[in-house]
Amino acid sequence: MSNVISASHLTLAYDNGAKEIIKDASFNIKKGEFVFITGPSGSGKSTLLKSLYGQIRPKEGNLVVGGLDLANAKQSKLQELRTHMGIIFQDYKLVNEWTVAKNVVLPLMIAGYSVDVQNTQAHRLLKHVKLAEHADKFPLELSGGEQQRVGVARALAKNPVVILADEPTGNLDEYSSNVIWDLMENACQQLETTVLVVTHKIPTIFSLPYRHFIIESKGVYEVH
Amino acid sequence: MKFIKNHLMFILPLMAILLGLEFYLVFDRTTDSYEKGLKEGYTMLVVTKKPMELAAFQALNAHISSSEKIKRKNIVSEIAKGVSAGSRKEILAALPYFYNVGLDSYMHTSRLEKIKNDLEADKNIKKVETFGSSYSSAYRLFSFIKFTLKLFIGFMAVVSLFLIIKQMEIWKYAHKERMQVMEIFGAPLMLRSGVLFKVATADAFIATLLTSAIFLYIKFQWAANSGIDIMMQKQEELFRLGDMGILLGSALLIVIIAVYSVVYSSKGVQE
Repeated sequence: MSNVISASHLTLAYDNGAKEIIKDASFNIKKGEFVFITGPSGSGKSTLLKSLYGQIRPKEGNLVVGGLDLANAKQSKLQELRTHMGIIFQDYKLVNEWTVAKNVVLPLMIAGYSVDVQNTQAHRLLKHVKLAEHADKFPLELSGGEQQRVGVARALAKNPVVILADEPTGNLDEYSSNVIWDLMENACQQLETTVLVVTHKIPTIFSLPYRHFIIESKGVYEVH
Repeated sequence: MKFIKNHLMFILPLMAILLGLEFYLVFDRTTDSYEKGLKEGYTMLVVTKKPMELAAFQALNAHISSSEKIKRKNIVSEIAKGVSAGSRKEILAALPYFYNVGLDSYMHTSRLEKIKNDLEADKNIKKVETFGSSYSSAYRLFSFIKFTLKLFIGFMAVVSLFLIIKQMEIWKYAHKERMQVMEIFGAPLMLRSGVLFKVATADAFIATLLTSAIFLYIKFQWAANSGIDIMMQKQEELFRLGDMGILLGSALLIVIIAVYSVVYSSKGVQE
């Protein structure tokens, strides 16, 4: 199976390259794989995730996502790549002035789908995350767990090639966390979406086979 | 209430700039015709030994645009009342030639002096009278009014621009979250800034219409009924349809600059 993400001798840094966070990391992730990235706070987990959607460019080495070389990609190509990704954040990053339904269909709106298609998909996606009755509410009217389900629904809206999740259950209770893990497992299993999750701790209820990378001392190592 | 306040915070400074711009346009037009009147009303007196043609004057200084010979017979009839016809002929023969010389523009007194010197350098010219003191006071007053108004308009524009920048910061804060989320999911610049453009463009239209309405009121109500001669004479200059295009164009230009400054400063994902 082909690689969706491929990193070779990747170095990531802040402060114009002065502060290195990840150094000389090499790994490949294939289509349909579920991957956990763990590591202590400040180790560079989120930085690695940001580099995968082009928020941070590699200082050295190669990083290819969906066939696009992120070190040299133009901004327009990067934008196009992001439309094939579903991104989930610990703080949800929902637009609070939009309804839940409008938040969910943001990727479809960006892709230029008609309002009718957007409405149909909003209903389907919200039903999938069991929030159909909240379609017309605003994010701040929902609990944290419900907001994150909206975030997951948004990430799934356009059947993405890859889902990137940054501490998706970091702010949630156990029940809400389990719901989120279920949704992501389903996406990986049923849609063959590659899922890459940055987390402090791998959930105990997880049932799918997965790969586990750990970040330590600026290096990215696979745990077997 | 907050919605109206947000719009007014942009519309009012924009209107102040547009009002300043329209005042400038109106002032420029009215002073243009006033300046033309001053120029046309002004002539210098040139006394020559022999008759001179316009081309001869223009050869001495290019700013000379007209010359009108003053009939010497009229002068003689004024100064030689009760004198015999023979003596009148002698006086007429001895009298130099007088010309009212007009200029091509309304200029500073220093340039008048230069013209005077150029003319007096010619041996055929006996005397040049520029009437400099009355000319100078009119010119200075006119220049002072023009400068003061431009200064005021400039000051108003700067203050208004600061208010618009302030409003941009509020917009930036209000729209940043949405624009950043859209950027993460790959929305192009135009889509990210679409809402802001719609709001700002609507505000630009409103500001243009309100400014135009104020000047239309001044033109058709206030000026027409003011009883002030100059206002009634210059009524046509007060507002022209083309001004509306200039105002709208300027408002849209300000909007484009303002919106792009917000969009570009909101780039990048919030940590």
